[in-house]
Amino acid sequence: MKLKSSLVTRRNFLNGLFGGWAAALAATFISPLVKFAWPPYKEPDEVTLPLADYKDMKPGEVKMFPWGAKPGLLKKAADGSYIAFVGVCTHLDCNVVYRPEQKKFFCACHDGWYDEEGKNIAGPPPKPLRRLDTAIEGEDFFVRKPGAKA
Amino acid sequence: MSARGILGWFVDRFGLKPILDYMHKKEVPQHHHTIWYYTGSSILLFLVLQIVTGILLALYYKPTLEGATASVERIMTELPLGWLVRSIHSWGATFMIATVMVHLLAIWFTKSYRKPREVTWMTGFLLLVFSMMFGFTGYLLPWDDLSLAATKVGTNIPRAIPVVGAWVTQFLRGGDDVTGDTLTRFFILHVCVFPLLIFAVLAVHIILVQKEGMSLPLKAEIEKKKLPWLPFWPNFVLRETMIWLVLLGVLLSISILFAPSLAPTADLMSPAPEGVKPEWYFLFLFQTLKIFPANMGPVTGEFVAVVLILLAVVAIFFLPFLDPKPQGRSGKIVTYAGILGVIYAVVMSIWSLL
Repeated sequence: MKLKSSLVTRRNFLNGLFGGWAAALAATFISPLVKFAWPPYKEPDEVTLPLADYKDMKPGEVKMFPWGAKPGLLKKAADGSYIAFVGVCTHLDCNVVYRPEQKKFFCACHDGWYDEEGKNIAGPPPKPLRRLDTAIEGEDFFVRKPGAKA
Repeated sequence: MSARGILGWFVDRFGLKPILDYMHKKEVPQHHHTIWYYTGSSILLFLVLQIVTGILLALYYKPTLEGATASVERIMTELPLGWLVRSIHSWGATFMIATVMVHLLAIWFTKSYRKPREVTWMTGFLLLVFSMMFGFTGYLLPWDDLSLAATKVGTNIPRAIPVVGAWVTQFLRGGDDVTGDTLTRFFILHVCVFPLLIFAVLAVHIILVQKEGMSLPLKAEIEKKKLPWLPFWPNFVLRETMIWLVLLGVLLSISILFAPSLAPTADLMSPAPEGVKPEWYFLFLFQTLKIFPANMGPVTGEFVAVVLILLAVVAIFFLPFLDPKPQGRSGKIVTYAGILGVIYAVVMSIWSLL
């Protein structure tokens, strides 16, 4: 079927064509700028600590180490092995603290509690504390994301 | 050329005649809800005070990890009246947000958002959101323990939103975690991005208020009742000035008597301090997040809480469209919802302080 008149006027067509072209052009300029505003800082895959600082820990003791821009918590288990946690609450990211007298990790922001294995036991935290792998090589103590390559 | 001649030249060149005529003819209706009209100009007073004191603070403030707390300390101890400038800026934020809330509730309960003022309401709600964002970003700038913990929590909340949430959190923080970049970013949001946004939306808001004129009480409008009118200039402006002076006096007195303190500088590695509390206008949201259980079926309690809060925000933004009959059933429902909302916010806020 042939329409008597076009549904789109020449002017509308050209407006759409030019507008679309201008929008595409703007997008090519804006997208790299948006990328700039997005963050370069990522959580580390691995940190290296001096073994000397941590080898004299007593069983059950918990020590802090810097995991990028947030705290990590290193615990020496009863059998002498090390367990590393990311020291932030799984609820809303506040830094947690170890309470040795109760053998629990505590988050002050919303009253979150974890047992000494990092398991969430009370309050709003939905998940256990994140665990990290540990390794000793020579005088270095490595803490890695699980699965990260050495 | 005489002063009048110079003035006339400007009026002519800028085409200001219609605006001047409008201001001369502008009138404000007199009735038992007239008092709420003054809340708008009171907000403007506080906004101007925030701009002036904010510019003064920015002359000396340094938005870096190493320098932030020290620069605030310098403002408070070394610079002439610096403690007062900071105190007015801090208390001014509280006064401004409180007045914005009163303004919003007055319009909620008098139903002035009804046709044809839907967009005025929506821009107004955006202005409340921006005001709260000003408060949120400004709270971090002194960079002490409390503000750091509040910012960690606040910037983590979007993460509960599926798909886009993690991006928002990363954008706000400038990375996976709160770092010195977050501080710089919050500063620039606080002094550049939000000011541009708030001016743009405020301009639309104020132009729309002038275009539609002051809204009448629902009853007077339906009954086409004749109300007495007060000339805007000089009668109404004179009354506004008196209210401004009183508010300024109250703000100054409180700022002098209860100047904010400065805690030791924040340490990214130290545990969150006990008694972490956001500013009072976020307390009800803070408590809402706290009372949700860790997990609710397949999702986290935080997710449910954030979705409910977002739904409420969207509903309030589109309120004029949810209330097609302000004088009828839907209007009653909105009134009761407003009362319930206020009770909820007050109870939650008090509970969070216990």
